[in-house]
Amino acid sequence: MSSSRRAPATAADRPAATQPTTGPSTARTAEPTTHGATDQPLAASARGLTKTYGRGEAQVHALRGVDLDVPRGRFTAIMGPSGSGKSTLMHCLAGLDRPSGGTVAVGGTDLGSLGDDALTVFRREHIGFVFQSFNLLPMLTARQNILLPLELAHPRTDDAARERAHELADSLGVADRLDHRPAELSGGQQQRVAIARALITRPSLLFADEPTGNLDSTTSAEVLDHLRRSARELGQTVVMVTHEPDAAAYADDVVTVQDGLIA
Amino acid sequence: MRTVLLQSLRRHLRRYVAAAVAVVVAVAFVVAVGVLTTGVRTGITAGAGSQFAGADHVVRDLGTQNAITYAAQHGDDVAVLGSATLPLRAGAEQAPGKFVGNIAAAPRLRWQTLDSGRFPERTGEAVVDVWTAQDMEISVGDEITLGAGSTAADLRVVGIVAASANLGQAAVYVTFEQLLNWRDDETLLLDRAVVVGDTGPLPDGATAVTPEEHAAESMAQHTNNVNVLSLLLLVFAGIALLVSVLVIANTFSILFAQRVRDLALLRCVGATRRQVMGSVRREAAVVGVLASLVGVAVGTGAGYGLVALVDALTRQSPLSAPAQLPGWWLLGGFAVGLVVTAVASWLPTRRVVRISPLAALRPDGAVDVRSGAGRNRVALGALFLAGGVVLLAVAAVRDSTVSMVAGGGTLFAGVLLLGPLVVPRVVRVVGALLGPGGRLATENAVRNPRRTATTTASLLVGVTLTTAVLTGLATTRASVDANHGTAHPLDVALTSWTGPLDAAVLDRVRATPGVGEAIAVDGVLVDLAGAEGAGSGGAGRPLLLLGAPDADQVARDGGAFARVEPGTVALDADVYGEDPAERLGDRTAGTVTASAGGDGEHDVAASPVQLRVTTGTGWGGAGIVAPETLTDLGTPRTYAVWVRASADADPVALLADMDTLADDIGADVDNGLRAEVADHQMLGTITAATLGLLGISVVIALIGIANTLGLSVLERVREHAMLRALGLTRRQLRRMLAAEAVLLSVTATLLGTVLGVGFAWVGYETFVQAALDAATWRVPWVQLAAVLPVGALAGLAAAVLPARRAAAVTPTAALTLD
Repeated sequence: MSSSRRAPATAADRPAATQPTTGPSTARTAEPTTHGATDQPLAASARGLTKTYGRGEAQVHALRGVDLDVPRGRFTAIMGPSGSGKSTLMHCLAGLDRPSGGTVAVGGTDLGSLGDDALTVFRREHIGFVFQSFNLLPMLTARQNILLPLELAHPRTDDAARERAHELADSLGVADRLDHRPAELSGGQQQRVAIARALITRPSLLFADEPTGNLDSTTSAEVLDHLRRSARELGQTVVMVTHEPDAAAYADDVVTVQDGLIA
Repeated sequence: MRTVLLQSLRRHLRRYVAAAVAVVVAVAFVVAVGVLTTGVRTGITAGAGSQFAGADHVVRDLGTQNAITYAAQHGDDVAVLGSATLPLRAGAEQAPGKFVGNIAAAPRLRWQTLDSGRFPERTGEAVVDVWTAQDMEISVGDEITLGAGSTAADLRVVGIVAASANLGQAAVYVTFEQLLNWRDDETLLLDRAVVVGDTGPLPDGATAVTPEEHAAESMAQHTNNVNVLSLLLLVFAGIALLVSVLVIANTFSILFAQRVRDLALLRCVGATRRQVMGSVRREAAVVGVLASLVGVAVGTGAGYGLVALVDALTRQSPLSAPAQLPGWWLLGGFAVGLVVTAVASWLPTRRVVRISPLAALRPDGAVDVRSGAGRNRVALGALFLAGGVVLLAVAAVRDSTVSMVAGGGTLFAGVLLLGPLVVPRVVRVVGALLGPGGRLATENAVRNPRRTATTTASLLVGVTLTTAVLTGLATTRASVDANHGTAHPLDVALTSWTGPLDAAVLDRVRATPGVGEAIAVDGVLVDLAGAEGAGSGGAGRPLLLLGAPDADQVARDGGAFARVEPGTVALDADVYGEDPAERLGDRTAGTVTASAGGDGEHDVAASPVQLRVTTGTGWGGAGIVAPETLTDLGTPRTYAVWVRASADADPVALLADMDTLADDIGADVDNGLRAEVADHQMLGTITAATLGLLGISVVIALIGIANTLGLSVLERVREHAMLRALGLTRRQLRRMLAAEAVLLSVTATLLGTVLGVGFAWVGYETFVQAALDAATWRVPWVQLAAVLPVGALAGLAAAVLPARRAAAVTPTAALTLD
């Protein structure tokens, strides 16, 4: 497992936990109240996050109290074996799922304070998603898929949005496939269209959930390179959930989750 | 395979609910028809015999005149059966036409049962049916007036009789002698008599049978009518069944498409094609059996419930609850349910066989079943379409019903076959109206053309028939109205047979609410040479001849009936028969010889004039002549007032007012309104009944739309979750699905309306034009315009449950692999 290259993805977990390879745990963020006091402002932060599923004997503790800060403009990888709780952590950070306890703030907004509609609109405006199985709508063309998040907010898309969709597709190398439907695209192309779709709203936070899970190694490398470039060149904050060390190696910072705790 | 079958059933049974509901409704329809039919038959059997219970013989085919003579010859041992339809007034209450029957003089021939009071014993007494008594607030001891004008009679109510489902039942019963007060009323119909003891010599044409024979024969006749009725109802049940087939077939197609991986996996692990198909067929059979059983139970309940409801709500219900369950109907309904399910699942289960075991191994788990129109399907559809058009053209030209029905069916089959090609295009056009916000809904609606087509087809059936019926009946109504003008040119005619009318009468008539136009008509009273008993008023009464040059102001036919050539008299065939000259005048020449009788006061006697006789209908007892002819005969004076009702008039109220006024001035009332009201009522009833019966198939179609949408929603869980993750609010998601359903229903409604109006037009060319001279084509735009929003709303209603279920999906579902 590669260690993070630069410091600040900070994982402040319960005192008992040790931090073997996850890079230097700095004292700088041990105190939660220091939001924004760091030289790099935070894109998202979680405090005392717990999540339990089921009841009684069948109860599962997916998260057992997680504190996490995601710095702005960096590519962060959340790693962990399957069942470690890393996906749950991402769902809670992205406002897709509500934690059982603790708080999540994205860009200074406490997600717990938002109702379902407000949360949905918040997601629409501030968060982008890239899924493992691409999740493009089969009946729409690549271009229509990319423009979809804008259409959900405003049914009529303007030329500027189309222009931007084209630029994004161009930079991702799928500009010539814009009028094709997902079924006519390769897996790598579909995922790059999905990345373009995630970036079209200029989200403050881009989540990628095992984005290379369904891709071969060459296309995986291309996709990961795109994610890294968008962080470095565009200053886009990216959070990627993965269980592949090779994929995590592309990230600036790596956070490892094990048994519902930051390892 | 048994484990697989059982587990599949357990897992998927819930998804079959909608298909099962479709079967249940269709089967229940058939069974309910059975119970009702049996109920009607039971009711008639109960009532048919009672009229003849006390008699030894029933004499039939007497005819009114013979019946009167025959009764006079035999006294109390004979009771004539018959009735007249007369206006009834009791205090402030009025009824324009009530059945008036007679009570036999001999107690053993009286079939009515007393509720209170006693039976009438002499003229001037009457008993009233319990429902009529209740309606018009009549109690024993009250005074009622029957009839109008010169034949009005005041009667004292001496008893109330129980209502009966008997075919001879009436609202008021009087003695036979009293009934003969209206012996010249055209509504008096006497045809049968019941006899105690020997029948004696019978008049010409009459026959005598035993009461048992008679009851059996009339039963057979009514049973025939009931059979026709149940056949008619079964046609609607058949339509509902057809729609169910479409809904069920679609459900099975979708379910099997969703389970392709499971079924392929079965093939992978070694199940043979036969085993897989057998398993899904048995699954379909279980659904069919369960749904049919429920349908039989629901239908039986609905049938008995309806019988009870009708009995409770109406007074002369011909229904009684069948004492014994109509076993064959129940069995038939059950079998129909099974057959429908088997037919509907045949093709979808056959497709299961074609699933390759490899399908289980393909990596992509997403279900995106695309289906389109194959070349064969398109070719066959086009062929059917062309054949249908040709047959319909033949029907319109040759007035051939057979080729109309065949052509309609063929054309519709062609439309259904071409559905996957046509429907998505129409959906896109309609979807474009929703603007960019409806794009997703439109794309979703057309992503699976065959599914879309079948779903809309089920609604298309109902909408096509509904619009065809609406347009067809509007056209019939317009044509009947146009014909009505010729048959009944006058709405109301007030005629005095005794002396000229006061000038003030016209003003009084004009002041009556509901009167649109009224004119005074001049005439001369004449005697006819050689006639015994001329006018409609009775023997020895003079005939009134009227000349109306300004009849066009009030007549429904533009006054054509009153434009009579000089030297001619037009007589009403409804009053004087098809050949009035035969009855009134010189038997050979087709003429009558009239001379103004003169009463020494108003009219002076003049020399007789010979007039040629023509006939028409709809103005009553007076003869119509040219104004010149009138002056030749004598001095014309006002003898009649003709009235045209205003468009918004209440015919019943207007008639009652006219009757009152006529009584006051001693005039008779003839009217064309009652016939018109009856026609309209009948057409209205037919429209309502047809729409109600078609409604059942529309309901099934809506269940189908909800079902397709619900199953599609299951397929699209990941997509919906993804959209939610990307920022689609719950409300937007629900709206998207509602828009999809509305698109489907509006498309079906539009196509159905076009087809329905087209079919109605062919029907008009084939039926109405052949049957009626003054046929008029009319499209009821207002009603048709109402069909569209109703269709849209129905689609919206169908989307409620699926949309709720879809909106419950959490966004995280998009991220988990299934």
